[in-house]
Amino acid sequence: MKKLPIIYFFAMAILAGFAIHVQASGAPTLSMQILSSKTLSGTAGDFVTVEGTITNSSSQPLNTITTYLSMADNETKLPVDLEDWSAEKGLYIGTIDAGQTLPLNWKIHFVKAGTYSLIIIAEAAGNELPQVSSITQFNVSPKQNLNPGQVLPVALGTPIILIFILFMLSYKRRVGE
Amino acid sequence: MFTHIWKKEIRGALYTWKSMLWLVISSLLFSFTSYLLLTNKELSLLDQTELLWLLGKIIIGVALLIITIDASSVITTEFEKETAESLFLSPISLKDFIIGKLLASLTLWAAIFVVSIPYILVTSAGSHLALAFLEYVALLGTLGVVGLIFLIFGISLLYRSSKNTITTALIILLAFATPALFASNLKNDIVSQAFSRANPIDNIFSSLDNVLVDYKISLLENWQFLLPLVIFCLITFTFLFWSAKQFEKKGIIKND
Repeated sequence: MKKLPIIYFFAMAILAGFAIHVQASGAPTLSMQILSSKTLSGTAGDFVTVEGTITNSSSQPLNTITTYLSMADNETKLPVDLEDWSAEKGLYIGTIDAGQTLPLNWKIHFVKAGTYSLIIIAEAAGNELPQVSSITQFNVSPKQNLNPGQVLPVALGTPIILIFILFMLSYKRRVGE
Repeated sequence: MFTHIWKKEIRGALYTWKSMLWLVISSLLFSFTSYLLLTNKELSLLDQTELLWLLGKIIIGVALLIITIDASSVITTEFEKETAESLFLSPISLKDFIIGKLLASLTLWAAIFVVSIPYILVTSAGSHLALAFLEYVALLGTLGVVGLIFLIFGISLLYRSSKNTITTALIILLAFATPALFASNLKNDIVSQAFSRANPIDNIFSSLDNVLVDYKISLLENWQFLLPLVIFCLITFTFLFWSAKQFEKKGIIKND
């Protein structure tokens, strides 16, 4: 029974060491904060800007930092090809000094109606796990380009005017002969 | 002297209304497309930029097809109708002859472009893209058409036969057009990408996409598509130059 405090002491020392190790290897050194609204709404064709910051919360500078977007369609539960949604799918930042915070701005073009979830992922050289931002929801309403009032005069008028011009040119030429 | 050839061709085209009926049919095609895009409930859900891109592709596609057919016959008919001999007996050089015919074909392109202007304006209403759309259809269409005319004129001077020239020119147009319609995920390998970079029609459609969908409207942002088109024009011009030299060597009446 006298050995119990000694065993307890060693057990606590091992646990403390394990906890310190976990904190050293798994603690997030990069953090991202989304400053723009959690939900952005608009019509297909609109542009919105997702604003945020990226911070190096460690005491060492972090190198080779890359951030990129990932977006999923909430209805189909499938990832979305960002080709037309954003001119910059990825953004290479490079080095962030210890304690430094840099702004992140992503201009997003609402291409198709639906609801989508967007996250920003940041990864740094040497870090096993990437850092993920909070989710920004997009509610994109459809844009109907119904415009029969303007297109009808053009669709009907242009061929009619063209036929008239061609007949007139042909007629003038024949009369001139 | 080239103006004489040019005017002769235009007068011929305007002689009867039938010879310009293709322009009315093109206009009806643009009417049908723009009316469907703006009134059909399913199609009107397309983003306006995609709608403009689709219309731009149709306008340039129709123009390239018509110019291919016209340019294939505009020189060769002079040989088939045996009017080339009398034409070259007059003080008209081969250079004037080619420039006159080139201007005649370009006039057809200008006519298609003018007819397409109301459709471009009505479909791009409210998008702030009307001017960029007009400018890029004019620029890309002109580069594509000029390169194609040089190529077809070169073939015409070598073949001197309408049937063979039209068949060859249409197959070349088809060869350019088909891969340009493939989705981008079908162009992942090096061969497809290399052909895509060299293909004039692919560059025209990609540049329109860059301008209308991605809002990259400056010339600097489109140089990667414009440069291959300029190179295409230079290569086809060199081919036409070589072909004209071969024509002069062999003479108007071919001995083979």
